[in-house]
Amino acid sequence: MSSPGGQGGALSTRGAAGPRRMKWALELSLGNTRGRGDRQSKDGDVMYPVGYSDKPVPDTSVQETDRNLVEKRCWDIALGPLKQIPMNLFIMYMSGNTISIFPIMMVCMMAWRPIQALMSISATFKLLESSSQQWLQGFVYLIGNLLGSALAVYKCQSMGLLPTHSSDWLAFIEPPQRLEIMGGGMML
Amino acid sequence: MFNLSRAELIIHIKNLPQFVGKVQFALFDTHSQASKKLLVATEKNIFASLNSRTGDLFWRHVDKTGPDGHINTLMMHGQDAVVVVGNGRLLRSWETTVGGLNWETVLDTGSFQSAAYIGVQDVVRYVAVLKKSAISLHYLSSGHQKWVENLPESDTVQYQTVYSGGNGQVFVLGVVPNSHIVIVEYNIEDGEIMKQKSVAAPWLSSLQSSCVMVGSGVLLCADPTTKSLYTFPLQSADQTTMTPILLESLGVEVAAGFQPVLISTQPHPARPPLSEFFLQLGPDYHILLQLKDGLVSTLRDFNPSYLVAFATTGEKTVAAVMSPKNETVSILFILSNSDPFHLHTYSVIRANGSNASVINLYSADTGRRLLDTTIIYSMDPNGGKPLYIHTFLKKDDSVGYRVLVQTEDLVLTFLQQPGMVVWSREEALADVVTMEMVDLPLTGTQAELEGEFGKKADGLLPMVLKRLSSQFILLQAWMSHLWKLFYDARKPRSHVKNEVTFETLSRDEFNLQKMMVMVTASGKLFGIDSKSGTVLWKQYLENIQPNSVFKLMVQRTTAHFPHPPQCTLLVKDKDTGLGSLYVFNPIFGKKSHISVPALPRPILQSLLLPLMDQDYSKVLLLIDDQYKVTAFPSTKNVLQQLQEMASSIFFYLVDSSQGRLSGFRLRKDLSTELIWEVVIPTEVQKIVGVKGKRANEHVHSQGRVMGDRSVLYKYLNPNLLAVVTESTDSHQERSFVGIFLIDGVTGRIVHEAVQRKARRPVHFVHSENWVVYVYWNTKSRRNEFSVLELFEGMELYNSTVFSSLDRPRPPQVLQQSYIFPSPISTLEATLTEKGITSRHLLVGLPSGAIVSLPKMFLDPRRPEVASDQSREENLIPYSPEMPIRTEWFINYNQTVSRVRGIYTAPSGLESTCLVVAYGLDIYQTRVYPSKQFDVLKDDYDYVLISSVLLGLFFATMISKRLAEVKLLNRAWR
Repeated sequence: MSSPGGQGGALSTRGAAGPRRMKWALELSLGNTRGRGDRQSKDGDVMYPVGYSDKPVPDTSVQETDRNLVEKRCWDIALGPLKQIPMNLFIMYMSGNTISIFPIMMVCMMAWRPIQALMSISATFKLLESSSQQWLQGFVYLIGNLLGSALAVYKCQSMGLLPTHSSDWLAFIEPPQRLEIMGGGMML
Repeated sequence: MFNLSRAELIIHIKNLPQFVGKVQFALFDTHSQASKKLLVATEKNIFASLNSRTGDLFWRHVDKTGPDGHINTLMMHGQDAVVVVGNGRLLRSWETTVGGLNWETVLDTGSFQSAAYIGVQDVVRYVAVLKKSAISLHYLSSGHQKWVENLPESDTVQYQTVYSGGNGQVFVLGVVPNSHIVIVEYNIEDGEIMKQKSVAAPWLSSLQSSCVMVGSGVLLCADPTTKSLYTFPLQSADQTTMTPILLESLGVEVAAGFQPVLISTQPHPARPPLSEFFLQLGPDYHILLQLKDGLVSTLRDFNPSYLVAFATTGEKTVAAVMSPKNETVSILFILSNSDPFHLHTYSVIRANGSNASVINLYSADTGRRLLDTTIIYSMDPNGGKPLYIHTFLKKDDSVGYRVLVQTEDLVLTFLQQPGMVVWSREEALADVVTMEMVDLPLTGTQAELEGEFGKKADGLLPMVLKRLSSQFILLQAWMSHLWKLFYDARKPRSHVKNEVTFETLSRDEFNLQKMMVMVTASGKLFGIDSKSGTVLWKQYLENIQPNSVFKLMVQRTTAHFPHPPQCTLLVKDKDTGLGSLYVFNPIFGKKSHISVPALPRPILQSLLLPLMDQDYSKVLLLIDDQYKVTAFPSTKNVLQQLQEMASSIFFYLVDSSQGRLSGFRLRKDLSTELIWEVVIPTEVQKIVGVKGKRANEHVHSQGRVMGDRSVLYKYLNPNLLAVVTESTDSHQERSFVGIFLIDGVTGRIVHEAVQRKARRPVHFVHSENWVVYVYWNTKSRRNEFSVLELFEGMELYNSTVFSSLDRPRPPQVLQQSYIFPSPISTLEATLTEKGITSRHLLVGLPSGAIVSLPKMFLDPRRPEVASDQSREENLIPYSPEMPIRTEWFINYNQTVSRVRGIYTAPSGLESTCLVVAYGLDIYQTRVYPSKQFDVLKDDYDYVLISSVLLGLFFATMISKRLAEVKLLNRAWR
């Protein structure tokens, strides 16, 4: 999409070497215009498009709106986990309490996402560095994730996956040792 | 990775050994020369036909137990056998080729005396049955009664014999003891009394024991007091007294205490008996006599001779005489290994080899010995009894014969000339009293290795040498195994047999093959390989009283190499009360040389403690009638352990006759003190049985999970006893069955229940926290199951130790009853290694089937209306009828006749329980109450799964390589 009037543009008129049908052709790129270079010109090291500038144009005007944008963006990150909670609740409701592959997968996802987020919380904090309300946002983010994992635990509980009942520990009870030895029977 | 191939299962079933018991009557089917049938009637009320070539059963008819089915007599004519059953209740005629019933007649009541074929003009047409007060004549073809006549003066005269010489009359002989003989002659056609005589015989008490019919209608009696024979011709018109013949006049020496026994023979029922007869003068002394024209002459005298018998073939009659062989030559029979019954008879014969005896044939007419008729036979002669001697004519017109011998240890042996054992059967196994299953030993090489680590270290170099030598032995064994494989592979497949011998006897991977040690009522012990049913060893204990009580205990298992396993059999003589111990190695059957304590006092009970001596044998306590305890083994170590443990050793005794249960505690000086006593009044009820828990039972789960996921803990009292009583009043309205659950240590009655309008037979099982019992409901006239389950509640009182002395709270007891659609012979519960597998009840039915009934159906928590919680718990809603599903029959069509007991043993696999059902037959199988959860399925596709695994492995390898190449290429760009 470069403009034809750009720097380094070249006009060349094809002679007998070009295909005969064409009267003329406009070559917008620099460099080798002939031979097999034709097709590989994209790979060439001089392939700047028309109007490309090597130097970055510094935008020196820091505006108040941008700062607001950053704040907003940071709040978005911080509130992300909280926003997911209604959706999770809906999924929880829909998946039911039966133990089958889909509810289990969902519970795993629900549990895993907050845990992952909590593990990479330092990275998130780095993202929030630019914000002025960094600590508050971090706290909200933490709370959101904790709520998410609490929800997952609640779901596990309602599905009966948590060993909270005495029956879950039944298999580990050793048979009691007997203190007396007894035997006998009918008189032979 | 264990496969029980179907082929193996079928072979297994084929070998079901079937027995008949102690033979009373035996007959050879003689109506055709080629016949190979042997008919036997036994004390177990069985009428069967044996193949005389192999000893297998052709058919078998099992009648009722008890006197109702008792076979009084067996007679054979042509193809039909006539049997009188149940003290003259029934007269039956059997077709012998297929064992079909020709006809059956119900006879009038009256105690049976004798029966005889009645022939007219050389044809046998009728069978006469003599009862205490009547005689009846039946047609042989249809069983219809021709006539029945009351006997004259039957209240004073004991009629005992019926005789017919084949000339149109029937003689009935009776005796008034120590007074006279009564002879009544009947007309065959209409039962009219033709003649009636009485002959004075003041010395005679019984016709059956001292009189026989000899020659053409001559009654011959022996009198021990005057040492003379008396003859009386039945048909004589004028003679009224018996003619005496002094034995001394025959030149016969008669010893003091002379108990004469006369043996005569009537080869054809329509013809008179032979005039030759045997007279037994002493236990080992017989003479062959002849009666001719009223005169008795001696043909031959046999001294010594154990047994004599007549046998007839065609027109020839011979006498067979069994006498001791003078030279003590031990003859070893070579036995075929194909038949499971006589694989190891060999060793027994060798042991008694010096007691050889000889059977010879003598011509009955002359007393001349027939040439080439000797059978040298070397079994215990005192026990041996030729039941039946069958003779046949050889092609060269000489006489050949076969002998069926039954010995005291109930071995039926069929001998043929010249001294060949055709087959033998172990009929003692029809009466198994108790049994145990013992693990087989490890193979020799495995044992060698175990032994190396078991012994104490004795220096570095010897240890290295020992290790090297054991490795060398392993290598050697492996090489020989390979060689054997190679050798077997060359042979055709059918020739390779999985024979079980002591050499090949070793424990398999999952301990599924075990040694079954069986104790039979006759006092014979058997060691049977559980996989093939082969009798590997047998041991006959002599001088066992017929009503002895046996208790078999495994004192040391095979786990303690190099100490051999050790079993102890306690035999108690019911009459004297004295007990004796027999200690043996259960694998090889050898008597152990351990010194056994002398037991001078009657033994009341024994108790096997979990304590062990230094040589790993468990301590056996024997309680005598003064409540003193004898320990076996009684080494210093044991006594010391006993002293330390004495205060925690308790035992209980149940005296059924006095209705008393008493508990004792051991004192340090091996005396005892009575600590509790419960008396159940015998006027009201009597104790039928008492059962504790099995010592090797494990319970994995300590509670049951409820629908709300809480736990109901089981009341697992190892000292709990279930006592079942029965009312003495057997009236239908007032009879009851009582069940008491008593703590054996404290004597506390934990629970008692009474089942009204219930009666015996009662069977019960006590295991884990439940008791299941079966009774007959007299009101509804049906069999019912009742189950009692005990729970501790939602909390455990003490989860680490159990002491009966510290149990403040009584358990909660739940009970439920069900209708069972069949009567029951026996009841047992499955048992597994760790008790994880769910339990089944094994129910032996009188039909011979064994039902594996899931315990789940006998659960008192079954709700009447299914709720969510009960569904969560997998409880089946209550329904009073208990189903019997055909797929629960674990023995398919291999019925176990008269199943008397079921023995269960755990195997090395948790899912598998070994089951042995014994009665007349012995059936061994495996049951899987929770399916084979620890075993790969039969149709497990090893090829598919391993190929998928390998394929995936290679795919990963290849894709990993490809990925590496691609990454490298990209990096280069």
